Amino acid sequence: MSVVVIGLSHRTSPVELRERFAFAEGKIPDALKSLRNAGVAGEAVILSTCNRVEIYAATPLEPTKAFGELKNFLVSHHAYDAALGDELYTLAEPHSLRHLFKVACGLDSMVLGETEILGQLKTAYDMALKHGHTGARLNKAFQRAFHTAKHVRTHTNIQRGSVSVASVAVELAEKIFNSLGDREVLVIGAGDTSEKTARALLSRGAKSIIVTNRSFDRAQALAAELGGRAVSFDNWAGEFEKVDIVISSTSAPHHILDCAKLEPLMKARRQRSLLLIDIAVPRDVDPAVNALDNVYLYNVDDLQSIANDYLKLRQEEIALCEAIIAEKVKPLLAAKSSIDFADERRLHFSHLRKSAQSAD
Amino acid sequence: MLVTWFTDRHFFLLAVAFYGLSTVYSVFLWRRGFRKDDWANYFLIVAGVALHTVAMFKRGLTLHSCPVNNLYEATTFLLWALGLACLVYSLLPRFKFLAAFTAPVLFTIGVFALMPSLDVHPLPGAKPDFSNWLRSLHAATILQSYGAFGLAAVAAAMFLMQQHDLKFDKLRAVLSLLPSIQRLELITLRLALVGFVLFTIGLVTGQQLPRPEGKPYFSDPKVIWSALLWLVYLELIVARLFFGRSTRRFTIGVVVAFAFLLLTFWITNLYSGLHHP
Repeated sequence: MSVVVIGLSHRTSPVELRERFAFAEGKIPDALKSLRNAGVAGEAVILSTCNRVEIYAATPLEPTKAFGELKNFLVSHHAYDAALGDELYTLAEPHSLRHLFKVACGLDSMVLGETEILGQLKTAYDMALKHGHTGARLNKAFQRAFHTAKHVRTHTNIQRGSVSVASVAVELAEKIFNSLGDREVLVIGAGDTSEKTARALLSRGAKSIIVTNRSFDRAQALAAELGGRAVSFDNWAGEFEKVDIVISSTSAPHHILDCAKLEPLMKARRQRSLLLIDIAVPRDVDPAVNALDNVYLYNVDDLQSIANDYLKLRQEEIALCEAIIAEKVKPLLAAKSSIDFADERRLHFSHLRKSAQSAD
Repeated sequence: MLVTWFTDRHFFLLAVAFYGLSTVYSVFLWRRGFRKDDWANYFLIVAGVALHTVAMFKRGLTLHSCPVNNLYEATTFLLWALGLACLVYSLLPRFKFLAAFTAPVLFTIGVFALMPSLDVHPLPGAKPDFSNWLRSLHAATILQSYGAFGLAAVAAAMFLMQQHDLKFDKLRAVLSLLPSIQRLELITLRLALVGFVLFTIGLVTGQQLPRPEGKPYFSDPKVIWSALLWLVYLELIVARLFFGRSTRRFTIGVVVAFAFLLLTFWITNLYSGLHHP
């Protein structure tokens, strides 16, 4: 039996199509059962996430025939009547196994190197295993893929660093403060990115959030969502003595914070470190404040460029990851050859036995 | 047999060679932005400190006393305290790179200490008498305080580098595995405080010691230098703790104070009638 893959992902199809082919978690065991009952696959695993829908099957059929049957299964299962083109990809060995390993390592993910997919793949495999839809081939392939993903994570930098503005801001905060546990965060301007950044800081243990906005209602709404408190826009400077991290994203056409305003505030803070995250365009904070002692200013370009650099670093690791995958897939293919050889021998001997019996 | 043939200076030479290797490796780590977390540098310093300990032990056995009788011995004692403290502090989370910052200090002072002119045996009768426990306490606390000041300077240098990167080389800052600057500042302050307390004990015990005949105390260069150093560290600590001096100025002060200590320690010792009767 050879392992084949059929599916569609964020690389080949828009979300409208992916959601059309998505499998509801509760219906996957039945889908696997009907796939096996149809004789298309001896073993099968269905992976269905927001970014991909894939069927991994160990099939006794010729790959070309298997792909046709699997495509028919997908189309009929989802009652899809429009034409399908390049959106659906099909892979036979060894590419199918390499693909499985790449997916497990996050190399085929939208955010290169992300780890969420490994958990999703494990869940998909566990579900198939629990319902008895996997066997020697897929068990070995999936377990080796999980092991390889772990190896790649520890031996390369593919998962190193943050690739979003919010997570870069958190990482920088952790380079400045010993712990985020006792840090107060001030959000000036209740925008989408500032909300995401505040949430990221809270998820890493930030103590509390203070929100201020020109519209006090909006500030109150966001503060309630984040479990913080709102202050009037005219009084935010009064909070400076307490806070350690400021996220600013107002739509003010000029700087709302400059050296003249910040210097006395820093004195009042007894020169405690202050992290300023300015994600407003035009900028809210005068870049000159970065020269002040114990003030660390990052604007949206700084954060984005760090995220991009991280992504570049991850991309540089792809070749190394693929080399590791190629090495790890080899024994799987060799084992498959020996299984095929043993199957052929078994078939040959059974033929001989049958011939001898008929001669008798 | 080899151990018998090797003198304490041979062992110290080997220790300095390990500090040198660690320095070279540190340059490599620095060039790579302290991104890779490994133990190689730590174990180079472990090897150096182990050989250093053997060297001091052998010298102590030969003298039948604590080996702090001349500048070579005093310097090696200071380095040993610094190396040992570095090994202990490196075990703190994210402090493994402390070894990379300490190695150049250990190597530079180690090479200096190897100058034969520093290892002059005291004239008969001029050898310090360590049977007086106060004298031993004085020598040990003073040299340990130098070690603490040295390590504070190393932590301060780490702080300054990381702070610079956080402001001007942001990617390097986030990629490096150095501790947070707040933690570095805390360690610098604590080490400076430990050094200051030890130094104060050393000075107080030194003041209680019997003085050689005809040797003035308050005009002795080493006494004046020590008092000046004590005032410098007092000012640094008080300004930071009670007057909100910026961390940057405080850490620069700690580095400069230790550089001053290193550059003037030998000269004042040579001209001190109390320490060189």
